[in-house]
Amino acid sequence: MAFINLQNVTYKYPLTKTPVLQNINLQVNEGEFIAVVGPNGAGKSTLCYTLAGFVPHFFKGEISGSVEVAGRESSKSTLDEWVRNVGLAFQNPFNQISGAKYTVFEEIAFGLENNGVPREEIKPRVEEALSLTDISDLADRSPYSLSGGQQQRVALTSILVMRPKLLVLDEPTSQMDPIGTREVFGVVRKMAEGGMTVVMVEHKMEWIAQFADRVIALQDGKILLEGKPNELLTSDLLSENGFGISRYTSTAREAKKQGLWKSEKLPVTLDEAAEGFKP
Amino acid sequence: MHERLSYYVKRDSALHRLNPLTKIILALSIVLVSIVSPWYWTAHILLLLVIVPLSFAGRVSREYFTSAIRLILPAAGFIFLMQAFFQPIGNTVIFKYLFLDVTQESLSFAFRISTRIAVMISAFTLFLLTTHPSELMSDLTRRGLPPQFAYVIISTLQILPQMQAKAQTIIAAQRSRGLDTESTFFKRAGSVVPLVGPLVFGSLVEVEERAIAIEARGFTSKSIKTSLHEIPDSLSDKIIRWVLILLVLLSIALKIWLS
Ligand SMILES: Nc1ncnc2c1ncn2[C@@H]1O[C@H](COP(=O)(O)OP(=O)(O)OP(=O)(O)O)[C@@H](O)[C@H]1O
Ligand SMILES: [Mg+2]
Repeated sequence: MAFINLQNVTYKYPLTKTPVLQNINLQVNEGEFIAVVGPNGAGKSTLCYTLAGFVPHFFKGEISGSVEVAGRESSKSTLDEWVRNVGLAFQNPFNQISGAKYTVFEEIAFGLENNGVPREEIKPRVEEALSLTDISDLADRSPYSLSGGQQQRVALTSILVMRPKLLVLDEPTSQMDPIGTREVFGVVRKMAEGGMTVVMVEHKMEWIAQFADRVIALQDGKILLEGKPNELLTSDLLSENGFGISRYTSTAREAKKQGLWKSEKLPVTLDEAAEGFKP
Repeated sequence: MHERLSYYVKRDSALHRLNPLTKIILALSIVLVSIVSPWYWTAHILLLLVIVPLSFAGRVSREYFTSAIRLILPAAGFIFLMQAFFQPIGNTVIFKYLFLDVTQESLSFAFRISTRIAVMISAFTLFLLTTHPSELMSDLTRRGLPPQFAYVIISTLQILPQMQAKAQTIIAAQRSRGLDTESTFFKRAGSVVPLVGPLVFGSLVEVEERAIAIEARGFTSKSIKTSLHEIPDSLSDKIIRWVLILLVLLSIALKIWLS
């Protein structure tokens, strides 16, 4: 049975007139790395909140259909049970800092303390997580003194340290430079290889193409397309519907019109583009 | 943004090693005794012979004296002037200004009250300087204070300086769009209105996101919380707490007995 199983999920915030998610059906296997793309307002964040249990346990409103993760039904669980299996990091890193901790090290330990992990275990787990995301050198800094990209790494680390079964990331690299972004994708891939299921909202197509197993394209609260990164991300439907596409795809598409791109398949990444342009 | 947004100074000292609750009780007892004690010089003695030595014992004397000059002295000075001029007691006039008399009695009363204020602020300054905010939170929740309640206290201590920084940013941004914040008071009062929206509404959205973020990290989890740092709570802590409570009770008893 699928690890994530969404059946006909429709959801409306208390203040919205039309549903923000409409008839979403989605099955994800354990250890799969799913990327979610879509224009602003498509409902990506709302989908993340739904997977992480905050819809409907935190945001009220009307939900129908069923949300199942690891064999449990969201509406039949409490939020604090749910978050033990599902970790969520979102876009604005500043608001994810607990505000109760003095150093990055303590900030990352916060979730473990809350869940009653014994003291002897907390330190090694925090150290391991810090080195995983390569921020051991920030351990003694105040979380507020960091740059946006560094804060995003801290936010991601504070979730990873809790070893969730399902990791939900809503634009976790929005403030990172290309090197940071690459590293985050690498870490996430590694977690998926280790059996963690990942759902990640991202706009950076070239990285999605290299690291994700499957892409979901969301528009107006519906799943427009779903498929392998290389097929989906070069689809004409995406660019026609106002999705961002990789600059390599758009370059090659232009080149194709002028007969400079020979291959049938369009590229998403730099490597694919370089390969295709070889004489 | 600067590195130090909470008041805590990380050092190793006798005061740092006390249990957070012991330090709260210490600060409260100093304040209570200075208020309740019937003896005129109690607050002065407490300030010079308890607070100042404690700041050395806590190895935070430099930070303490800095805040004494920036905060405690102005606050106490203000109270002193108000009381000296407006307290309508006594008739040994020393000094007259328009219709205001400064009498020997009002002067001595003002000196006493302002020193009490200084003691009060000093005691809590020392407490904040030497107490790790998250240790305080862990210790209080371990003793049964609801975590939500503890969180409000701790995060307020940390978030206030951020709100100040943010207000500055918003003012700078609005000013660059032509907002007048520098001319006369009334003009300024009117032009402050556009700042309220972003500050308050921005904060509400932030509060919601922050609530989600800490909830996602098990903040309301039913398990018994643990803590990264071992929180000291030795036998001497317990003894100190009881002695302090006894001292407070004694000074209350003395006050009642003498009146
Ligand atoms: N708390 C809320 N209350 C009411 N409506 C909301 C709330 N949050 C989001 N919405 C609405 O739901 C719709 C989908 O929002 P959502 O944040 O899920 O989009 P998104 O795909 O994440 O967009 P973005 O790319 O801008 O992050 C939008 O029309 C938005 O206005
Ligand atoms: Mg979003």
